[in-house]
Amino acid sequence: MGKGSSSCGSPVRTKAKAGLIYGLTLVGSLVWLAAIILAPYLRSRGIRLNSLIYAVFAPTCHQIPSRSFHLWGFPLAVCGRCTGIYVGFLAGLLALPFLRGLGKTSPPRVWSFVLATAPMGVDALGNFFGLWSTGNILRFATGVIWGVILPFYLLAGMNSLFFRGDPEARDGAFQN
Amino acid sequence: MNQQKKPELLVPALIGGAVAGVMSGIPLLGCLCCLWIIGGAMLAAHLAAKDFPKSMTAGDGAIVGALTGIIAAVIDALVSLPLQALNMRLMQRLMERLSEYSSQLPGNWRDLMQRGMGETSLAWFLLGLFISAVIFAILGALGGIIGASLFGKKPAPQPAGGPDVPQDPSHS
Repeated sequence: MGKGSSSCGSPVRTKAKAGLIYGLTLVGSLVWLAAIILAPYLRSRGIRLNSLIYAVFAPTCHQIPSRSFHLWGFPLAVCGRCTGIYVGFLAGLLALPFLRGLGKTSPPRVWSFVLATAPMGVDALGNFFGLWSTGNILRFATGVIWGVILPFYLLAGMNSLFFRGDPEARDGAFQN
Repeated sequence: MNQQKKPELLVPALIGGAVAGVMSGIPLLGCLCCLWIIGGAMLAAHLAAKDFPKSMTAGDGAIVGALTGIIAAVIDALVSLPLQALNMRLMQRLMERLSEYSSQLPGNWRDLMQRGMGETSLAWFLLGLFISAVIFAILGALGGIIGASLFGKKPAPQPAGGPDVPQDPSHS
């Protein structure tokens, strides 16, 4: 099995499938980030669509203005930490083909997730319990670190899901 | 014929979704943003992994996580409903404060707010629920995949004298 995880009955079809999954995720990520930046721009122009964009992001973020970066005089559609996560996600996604290649069905090692989560976890817990209060830059930075690792997991999961039925898809199982 | 019991995904998803939905619906705890959904999906993957005869794949984690996200969206909406009146009062106070400083607010903003609450609330509720369900499903899938990689490992069965099965070298 080449490189461990990508090939199945028809390598060309699998490669195309992996490329499509990656492409759609990349487009989705770009649209997501564009919408975050578009919201304050539309609000500054008085275009009503801005309310819809802010509303779309509301279920996933507290959107507290003091914890958000501002553009054109208005807060982005998500807080500083969430912005960091999404920017990090895009950065990780762009780096993924070079670092790992497309079509992997197994996620990275567990320690990499723990390592990437630690800065944000410590910072979030400290803020939550009132031990300290970090600024938006640090919140953003810890979000970026965490976000970078996420596409490596998401893509592996999507590949594993859509390569299902292929005889070699089971190599996505987490075995010791 | 090697027929194995199908692993139960709905019950873990219900438990994970309930935890994530309730936590993200409570205003003070909602400050952890999407992390409740990812955490709930990881919990669901952990619970589901116990029922899996073999190791969970990332795809299995994605399915249970996405289910968890959809359930969390419904529960979050139900939890948020009783808090909506409180939110509305807070919004009204905010608007009153804003109206002192801004001349851009329409004069009849109180009527507009009432109308918005009354006539379009069901439509907005359903639209909001749909959007939440889609976003939470994606976040949940991510959490499920992470959960499967953290908790889904099971020792590979020892082949009885057969050749070793080649494994992905990138495995953790």
